[in-house]
Amino acid sequence: MMVDFTTAALVAMACWATGSFAGFFARRTPALKLPAFLLSLAGSLAIAGFIAAYWIVLDRPPLRTLGETRLWYAALIPLVGFLVEYRWKIAWLKYYCMGLAAFFLVINMNHPEVFDKTLMPALQSPWFIPHVVVYLVGYVLLAASSVAALHNVSLQLRSKSNATGESVAHYLALLGFVFLTFGLIFGALWAKEAWGHYWTWDPKETWAFLSWLAYLGYLHAWRYKIDQAKLQWYLALSFLVLLVCWFGVNYLPSAQNSVHTYTQG
Amino acid sequence: MRINLMVVVRRRWFEAPWEFRESALFSAVAVVAGFIIQYATSGQGVPMLHLPVNAVVLVLFAALILGTGLGFRENETVKWFGGIPLGLCLIVAIALLSLIGGVVPQGEAMPGTPSALLGVHQIFSSWPFALTVLLFLANLGLSLSWRLVPFSIKNLQFILFHAGFWIALSCGVFGAPDLQRLVVPIEEGKANNLGYTIESEMPRKLPFSVFLKDFSLEEYPPQLLLYDPHNDKVLFERSQAITQIQKGVKASWKGVDVVVLDYMPYALVGNDGEPEPADRAAGIPFAKVKITTATSGSREAWISTGSPMLKPYAADLGGLFLIMMPGSPKSFRSAVTVQDENGHQQIANLEVNKPVSFMGWKLYQMGYDEQAGRWSQLSLIEAIRDPWLPAVYLGFFMIMAGNLLFFWNGIKQKEVAS
Repeated sequence: MMVDFTTAALVAMACWATGSFAGFFARRTPALKLPAFLLSLAGSLAIAGFIAAYWIVLDRPPLRTLGETRLWYAALIPLVGFLVEYRWKIAWLKYYCMGLAAFFLVINMNHPEVFDKTLMPALQSPWFIPHVVVYLVGYVLLAASSVAALHNVSLQLRSKSNATGESVAHYLALLGFVFLTFGLIFGALWAKEAWGHYWTWDPKETWAFLSWLAYLGYLHAWRYKIDQAKLQWYLALSFLVLLVCWFGVNYLPSAQNSVHTYTQG
Repeated sequence: MRINLMVVVRRRWFEAPWEFRESALFSAVAVVAGFIIQYATSGQGVPMLHLPVNAVVLVLFAALILGTGLGFRENETVKWFGGIPLGLCLIVAIALLSLIGGVVPQGEAMPGTPSALLGVHQIFSSWPFALTVLLFLANLGLSLSWRLVPFSIKNLQFILFHAGFWIALSCGVFGAPDLQRLVVPIEEGKANNLGYTIESEMPRKLPFSVFLKDFSLEEYPPQLLLYDPHNDKVLFERSQAITQIQKGVKASWKGVDVVVLDYMPYALVGNDGEPEPADRAAGIPFAKVKITTATSGSREAWISTGSPMLKPYAADLGGLFLIMMPGSPKSFRSAVTVQDENGHQQIANLEVNKPVSFMGWKLYQMGYDEQAGRWSQLSLIEAIRDPWLPAVYLGFFMIMAGNLLFFWNGIKQKEVAS
């Protein structure tokens, strides 16, 4: 194997850690701001570089197994944090995002992937990349939204209010929902071509539908002007449904016949 | 800015305007009633209405919602029925029922058991699910009617998303009984016009026949593996890679190094006992490997995947075996000729992800005789007919259009906010 995952992961985490450390001191010493950002960005670039090399070695997009998708999350989630800082001048989100990305890398380090170049016929479709990428982006945004909500909840518990933080969590959830909807429909259109029907209540479909309903419910509760502070709890907890949909479905009793389990065999 | 309109005096149950409490109670009653009906009908599930009856029922249902929404839009109960609190509670109810479907394995159940009578193994065709979805459609439809009339371009995004969802959901649910999925097994050189459903042994006649000219399967290169028969386990190569065999490939395990000296994808053992190239139809993969172990030095050996007719060759490494596993299928296709009763013909290549349409049916490459693998003489074709598909797709595309507007408006809102 040309590219060593452990090295890439350690480099990335070291970049994020030193970047966060420098970012912390940048509050007092503004000159540290740029190096802190560049270091943090380098962490994501290290993972992006690994994904590119991995793609070349595998000769197919590394989007098939859960471990492979975790690489993408690790590269992309910190970027959401940087964008939020750039757009809304909110600095704290990126630390959570880098923490979450490091968490995904640690999972992968403990469960090394088996390098398998094969791609079963059903996955050889023009829908493969759009379906997975749209979902990836959606999940990344919703993960960032939950992380922001968690931060807001912890502030509330300390009786601090944070209206900007709440609206960041809201907009991330809103954008995430749009991507989730596209992912769901792309999946349905692909399923029609590959498996003959657009919706078969496959466990992964059912859980994707549940996650979609969770955010559909959130948006309506928000529209009905339910207290934003209460809704932060909702957003933080919606992450649990997402986690089951991401990684948990394979372990459920209902997953015996799922078309979405590619990790075995 | 947050406006707080909390009223200090608590509203009593069923005092107008109704809100979450009444909605939650109503939704819970609907779910419980659904389970009672399901139980009372011995777990039969919802009766299946076919075309044109289901279409008529759906149109009447839509007309009823639209009429109620527009005729009684000032009525408090109707307002509540189409409001967000009930919508949210019904979303929660649908989510909870789906949760059952997402955890309990769906499919056949032991007849007579409580779970079978309650329909938890077929939750998505059960009474509680059907009732909840029906009420949800009514709720969604009412709110839609108020945005449709009077029409305003400002409501376009709302209308596209909600009407798209209404159409996709209602046509998906009402149209489900009209979905036909038939498995058509065909042997090479023969034709078949009988399809089988998963539920019944009795074949159904298709309005056309399918002749299988040729079935072909392409595999990924075979894999080089080290097998431990005592633990029935495959040992992973040092780099965690699945080694695809080709000339010159190296692989190493703890204490074992292997180099592939020669590889023939199609070969047979000749008269002298050495494998030699053969034609594609008969040949099987053979590889000459050089094995170096820490204890016994180097040696060369032939290994092979074997086939349904020929035994595999493995190299014994004193308790462990170096084996060659057939590669997984890369693609498989059936060259077929489809012919209707009037003799109208169409030649097609069926492949996974590339279905072919014929007379309102779609034909899919589904499977083959997996025991025979590349030598399979049998192809399984799935013939599917879903007359409601265009309506469901219309709904999907409306949702996506609404979504694009949502995205656009969301960004614009942010610009305004900042």
